[in-house]
Amino acid sequence: MTAVAEAKIKRRVLPSPVTGQEIVLVGVIVVLWAALAVSTPAFLTAGSIQPLLVATAPVALVGVAMTIVIITGGIDVSVGGAIMVCSVLTAKALVGTDGVSLGVAVLLSIAAGGLLGLVNGVLIAYGRVHAIIITFGTANLFMFLGLRIFGSGTVNGIPATLAFFGRGPDGRTLGIPHAFLITLVITAVAWWYLRHTAGGRHFFAIGGDAQAARLAGVRVQRRVLLAYVLTGVLVGLASCFVIAQGTSTLDQSVGSGKELAVIAAVVIGGTSIMGGRGSVLGTLLGALLVQSVASGVTQLGWRSQLSDLFVGIFIIVAVGADLLRARARRSR
Amino acid sequence: MTAPTMKKTERTDYLRILLTQRIALLALLIVVVVVTFFINDAGGYLTAPYDFDYMSASLISAVPLAMLGLAEMLVILSGRGGIDLSVGAMVSLAGMVFGFAYGEWGWPLWLAILATAGFGAFLGAINGFLVSWIGFPALIATLATFYAYKSLAIVVNDQQPISTKPIQELFSLSKSVELPLFGEYVPNVPLGIFTFLLPTVVAVWLLLARTAYGRRLYAIGTNDVAARWAGLPVRDTRFKAYVYAGLISGLVAVVTVGQFASARPDAGVSGNGMALPAITIAVLGGVAITGGIGRVAGVVLATLLIVWLNAGILLAFVGNEGSQYQLLALGAVLVFAALLNGLTNRRYGGTTS
Amino acid sequence: MTDKIETPRLRLTAVSKRFGAVRAIQHADFTVRAGKVHALVGENGAGKSTMIKIVAGAEVADTGEIEFEGEPVKLGSTTAAIALGIATVYQEPQLFPELTVAENIFLGRELKKAGRVDWAAQNAKVVELLELLGLPERYTTAEVGTLSVAEQQQVSIAKALAADAKVLILDEPSAILTDAEIEVLFDVVRRLTAAGVAVIYISHRLDELFRIADEVTVMRDGRTIGTYPIKDLSVRQIAHLMVGEELSDSRPHREVPDGPAVLELKSLSRDGKFRDVDVSVKAGEIVALYGLVGSGVSEIAACVYGIDRSTHGQILINSSQVNIRNPEHAQRLGIALLPANRKVEGMFGFQSIAFNISAGHLKLLSKFGVWVDRAREKAVALKLIERLAVKTPHERQAISAMSGGNAQKVVLARQLVERPRVLVLAEPTQGVDVGAKEEIHRLITELAEEGTAVLVVTSDLPEALRIADRIQVVRGGTTTDEFGPDASQVDLLAAAAGGSETNPAPTAGNRETNRTATESRETNRTATESSDTNRTAAGGGE
Repeated sequence: MTAVAEAKIKRRVLPSPVTGQEIVLVGVIVVLWAALAVSTPAFLTAGSIQPLLVATAPVALVGVAMTIVIITGGIDVSVGGAIMVCSVLTAKALVGTDGVSLGVAVLLSIAAGGLLGLVNGVLIAYGRVHAIIITFGTANLFMFLGLRIFGSGTVNGIPATLAFFGRGPDGRTLGIPHAFLITLVITAVAWWYLRHTAGGRHFFAIGGDAQAARLAGVRVQRRVLLAYVLTGVLVGLASCFVIAQGTSTLDQSVGSGKELAVIAAVVIGGTSIMGGRGSVLGTLLGALLVQSVASGVTQLGWRSQLSDLFVGIFIIVAVGADLLRARARRSR
Repeated sequence: MTAPTMKKTERTDYLRILLTQRIALLALLIVVVVVTFFINDAGGYLTAPYDFDYMSASLISAVPLAMLGLAEMLVILSGRGGIDLSVGAMVSLAGMVFGFAYGEWGWPLWLAILATAGFGAFLGAINGFLVSWIGFPALIATLATFYAYKSLAIVVNDQQPISTKPIQELFSLSKSVELPLFGEYVPNVPLGIFTFLLPTVVAVWLLLARTAYGRRLYAIGTNDVAARWAGLPVRDTRFKAYVYAGLISGLVAVVTVGQFASARPDAGVSGNGMALPAITIAVLGGVAITGGIGRVAGVVLATLLIVWLNAGILLAFVGNEGSQYQLLALGAVLVFAALLNGLTNRRYGGTTS
Repeated sequence: MTDKIETPRLRLTAVSKRFGAVRAIQHADFTVRAGKVHALVGENGAGKSTMIKIVAGAEVADTGEIEFEGEPVKLGSTTAAIALGIATVYQEPQLFPELTVAENIFLGRELKKAGRVDWAAQNAKVVELLELLGLPERYTTAEVGTLSVAEQQQVSIAKALAADAKVLILDEPSAILTDAEIEVLFDVVRRLTAAGVAVIYISHRLDELFRIADEVTVMRDGRTIGTYPIKDLSVRQIAHLMVGEELSDSRPHREVPDGPAVLELKSLSRDGKFRDVDVSVKAGEIVALYGLVGSGVSEIAACVYGIDRSTHGQILINSSQVNIRNPEHAQRLGIALLPANRKVEGMFGFQSIAFNISAGHLKLLSKFGVWVDRAREKAVALKLIERLAVKTPHERQAISAMSGGNAQKVVLARQLVERPRVLVLAEPTQGVDVGAKEEIHRLITELAEEGTAVLVVTSDLPEALRIADRIQVVRGGTTTDEFGPDASQVDLLAAAAGGSETNPAPTAGNRETNRTATESRETNRTATESSDTNRTAAGGGE
């Protein structure tokens, strides 16, 4: 083989790193931000963008793991309940005179989340039951657990131990919120892992055809288990963000409805609910888009719940475009 | 079901029936639950008496639960990953429509109910169109409409509930009544059971078990390729399943407005919403998530099990602990049922609910 | 050949395999040499697929010896076979459409460098393989889902080669390919043999063997009849070896009432599937469309029933042209169809027999078109159970729990609830036991006696001969020769498997047989010749 040919191969070892969906999403976000900047001059200021990024972080972070779960052909509707468990547990550990430090709180939250993810993973990978049913069940169990830890009422007087992840000045470096930065780094690592390692590629193979993947030597059950444990771990970290973003009070509605928000971000990001195809980068953009709309709707002085209508429309448009593309590809 | 007719007394046979016949299992579990609470009641461990009057009164919460469980059953039966996450949002939005029609515009009650049901059917038709004619995965389509309907319900009246006088008077819908003829010998039963739940149960049962449409629905859910080769209108049949689910959600909206004596914009989506428990009830009732398997009796029994279990739990714990343990019960029962399905599939080659 | 000295790559000696009471293979011998293409031929059920499974390690032989490069080996699993260098390319590519070609080839055994996949090393290897297969280099990073079926098959071959295959099994590789694509495949096979790979080539299309194979082993009734250098044989001779001594189970000759055609297909075409198909069936007549797997014969049935739409040509029912939109429409026109793939297209798995029978006739079996008339449904089901001799305790039995033959009868019963004007049967006895096969054939004859026009679409040669009044051979996506019921199996097989490749004009034998058959012989032959030219033209164009 000639040196020229070799160089050519090196240049094109992989398909394009970004998908069409991601480019479109970037375009939509840019147009949206521009429109908002024109209509409300306050939008393109640090005081407006920073909270937007902070609010995006938890959904996008859990979305990274949810993307992997959905790529394997599964789904996890228990993340809302899991967020509740992790946040209340961590919040309680923070409260009081002997409240734990930042590092311990994060580790505790991640450990708790990982354990919950392990429960899901074992039941799904080894129980041979459809993921949606199992996680509907564990969603109830996790909520029970969370409410039991709450006891009655709210957790009050949470100290600012987690301010590092929060909205305040302590939560930023060079103006960029830490929570978003961490999410960005984890997304990048996940993107690299999914794209460049054998283990990462195996997630796609499992979602494409689990049986064929098993025959090809992929350890399907272990991979599936890993996907759900990872979800739990990231839920744990995201819970710390949630606590940090709130006031000193945590109420029982924490985590409620988050599973659908995360799935919405994943789906808008171009990940196929049928498995086998998806991108964590798209999920991050999807989460950012949803949050931008929410922020825009409030800044325009509209009723905040109107943003959900846009979420619904985005889902239909994003997936509808994908359906049309797939149909075009089939008929070709 | 078939248990009494079996002459063979081998233990394995009874075990097999319990494991494979969901209805037999549910009936047994109901008996276990009720007897357990009766014993606890007799021992004085409960905060209030768990008796037939209490059981009967608790049925009021069975009305929306069973109706939405049936709605979910219809769409799950249709196969291809059929599911409807938007039922709760449809209840909210249709409830607001009912609030306007009956509470604000002063339409006659029957017309308002009819309009609400029709509106629910329209919302369901949007779901059905997306799923059946465009080809969206049901989970995605109904997730999108969940958000859209939920948002509209809140925005339509500027987040305000409608609780005008006619709406408040609807509360009578949920009060308990004495049955005619033999009513004095049995407990009073919530009116909603007769006005909404029973008609829906009978209608869905007739639809599934007696009509040609029901046959088509089971056929497309079992194998939609074979259904196409058999000349069945696959898309139309699946589309209608979502329409019927919307229609039932519209009726539930009326019930819910009556129960709250107010048309609340978040009626169907507050807390965990109504979709999650409804899907849970359907799956618990033996509806296979892959489509084609499921019976009305299973859903009804699953509802009774959960309602009476929840009612007992409320008495066994003090304060809001009761409502927390209800979540535990629901989750544990669902996971147990799902694992049981997985087991029976391997051992007996599938459940016949 | 000087193979006396050379050690064969793979040698199977006196191999036998039974499945329950069925002897799938008895005392089979099979020897494959390095750098040669060894064809394995035989009729459906002759034991080819079992043989292949044994070589691929998917089934373990009961008795017999297997030697690989002179060493006795045990092929206990597919992984054991793969480890030896025996790779199989199945008809349906087992690939992941969302992954790239390179990823598919290396899935599960990725080359790694510092924890990550070494894309450059993998791709370098893949480029080599693609070059060997004549595929463009840029396909390395293309998603498999974007490639054509033929290209996907080549990717499967590449995948097999990446594992350093020494023996490559190609199971009916040409069945899904167009003529132009077959050329590419042959090219690939020649390159592989030049590189020393031993290729086992299974095909129904005998004509192509002469262009690619070095040796041919013929199987019949689970035995290997013999191995011959291909140049010593002709298509007719191979066909003769496959069919063996013909059984003289000629059935009583049926008198077909004269009359106009009920179903007529006039130059019916569907792009990429079949073209210029001409068939006519009279009331009371049984016509067989006989073609090999992949000849386009099954697609014709789907088109007549409105599952697929034709792109050219006409369908006539009782001499008036119809445009069949969907199966429902076909049913209204009086057409019933027994689908080829029973499990996927025919059965409602866990539902009852009665459910399965009534499924296509709910309008008829319900009151006011709304309420299912369950008494009538039961009566109809019981009547059909009796008529088709379905073995079952009651009509509420789930069809998934029944044997293949019984299940097939139930699916057939669905087509008979209303007496169809035209009955199309696609592979009516595939995967059906002998007894049920007999009964289904008897029933088909009965239906014709009652005046139904029957079109049997089949790749089962004895079946075509046994039940049909006329047989139309489908080859390369179009109807070619026509035969009467007295035609010999050898003639039919030679016609379907491409006898014309060795003898450019239809053979004398074919002409002789045709003489007994029909009035349309003359037009038919011209159609044959013109379509042969079409075929070459189309082959070049595609």
